[in-house]
Amino acid sequence: MISIAISSQKGGVGKTTLAINLAHAFARAGHNTLLVDTDPQGSVGLSLTRQSRLLPGFYDFLADPGIPMERLIVPTRLETFSLVAAGQASDYEASDGSSGSHLARIRTFLRNASSRNYDICLMDTAAGLFGVTNDIIAASDALVIPQQAEPLGIRSVPKLLIGLNRLRIINPRLNVLGVCLTLLQRDLAESTEAASALRELLPEEMLFKTFVPRDDIFVRASAKGLPVGVLEGSEGAQIVFDSIRSEIESKLARARRQQSFQAQ
Amino acid sequence: MDAINPWLDPSEVRHLAEQLLRPVAPARISSVDPGFDSSFVGFTETGNLHSTAAAPAPTSEKIPANRETESPTPKSQIQPVAAESMVPAKVVPAESPPKESPEPTPASPSQTRFKERIHIFRDWLAKNFNARDIFILDREGKVIFDESGHGRFHFMARNFALASRGSSNIHVKIGPSSVLEVIPCETPYGRIVLGTLVPESLPPGHVQTIIEVLIQTASPG
Repeated sequence: MISIAISSQKGGVGKTTLAINLAHAFARAGHNTLLVDTDPQGSVGLSLTRQSRLLPGFYDFLADPGIPMERLIVPTRLETFSLVAAGQASDYEASDGSSGSHLARIRTFLRNASSRNYDICLMDTAAGLFGVTNDIIAASDALVIPQQAEPLGIRSVPKLLIGLNRLRIINPRLNVLGVCLTLLQRDLAESTEAASALRELLPEEMLFKTFVPRDDIFVRASAKGLPVGVLEGSEGAQIVFDSIRSEIESKLARARRQQSFQAQ
Repeated sequence: MDAINPWLDPSEVRHLAEQLLRPVAPARISSVDPGFDSSFVGFTETGNLHSTAAAPAPTSEKIPANRETESPTPKSQIQPVAAESMVPAKVVPAESPPKESPEPTPASPSQTRFKERIHIFRDWLAKNFNARDIFILDREGKVIFDESGHGRFHFMARNFALASRGSSNIHVKIGPSSVLEVIPCETPYGRIVLGTLVPESLPPGHVQTIIEVLIQTASPG
């Protein structure tokens, strides 16, 4: 199983939208996919299931790792797509900000998921690199960084990169898959300029070629509690997330080739 | 790009991003270390880690491995090592011969004063913050004071301090009631790094107090 954290320095960058639709894209491609809501706000659960406020979830497992995974995993109509809500203990989650507090339990959670034959575990995290989010990245195989195409977001990039370099000391195997531009507004000069600036700043392989545009369809999907891929007239949006999925698969395959080359 | 470029350093951003893309040799997780319980998840082996912080740091092997046989003092007592490395090379008198001989030499009055100040600092830290296993690294990452006996703590502290790129402290939980607190500190002799185990991570106000006292301790008497 490959565990992928979806994390950003800033909030409101479309992290949950990316997580939900990317998970859906993996599941539609036949990968057995688990989407885990690790944001105490519980946005994934609120987006996809009406019972989310009653479901036990990720933070309940952190509080009590004796809870069986079967109680946490919520199946969906798509056989290959399951999710774990943030849970009820998230209401009381008050991390002291120290790294490592939850690392062992998050690793146990991922081992449990892996033993249930999931191919991909996507973890939607809270914004910022601290507390539980730090530990999730420290326990994950890979990381995708959604970045809103607007000036303030781009200015936060150095802080994010410094934080990630620090985390790679704890987790040297972390594969930083790259930055994915989100909420791009082609009709807004500041947005397209921010996207161009990021392309100039980062090495080519650090930036996903595919970007997520700002589109009303995401609001409509959220209103219905569905991934955009299941809405009528969503073919364009579906192509976007299939393309990001394809880029991730290529990056993971390249990393595997490098690892096997280094091992020889 | 006036909305973005003046706000950041493009070369720094690129350098940081390239560091993230560089493959790192897979870390080997050690078995449970003596002194830690089963919730301890292990250290990264120094030999395998190609640190993103690119530390030219000496490894823990440079610390005398068998200090019990070298010192008649009980293990529980404080055992400052190589206090002279606190003094930067440029303030060593020109006529002083290079210390290549492994034989012990009598401590100079200034070294003695430094040791005394460190002892006082150590006692203050232990009493006020429940600190234990205290160690201090100099600006080159060498151990100048150690009561932890864990070379891997030094390695971790060295790397965290390098990666922090600032003066903020870093803490890592290593057991149910053990947090490794790493506090980099700018002193007249350059940046030194204090490491210690505390029951809980220290709040910013306490860290600031410790930094101030450590600066006083490390300043010439």
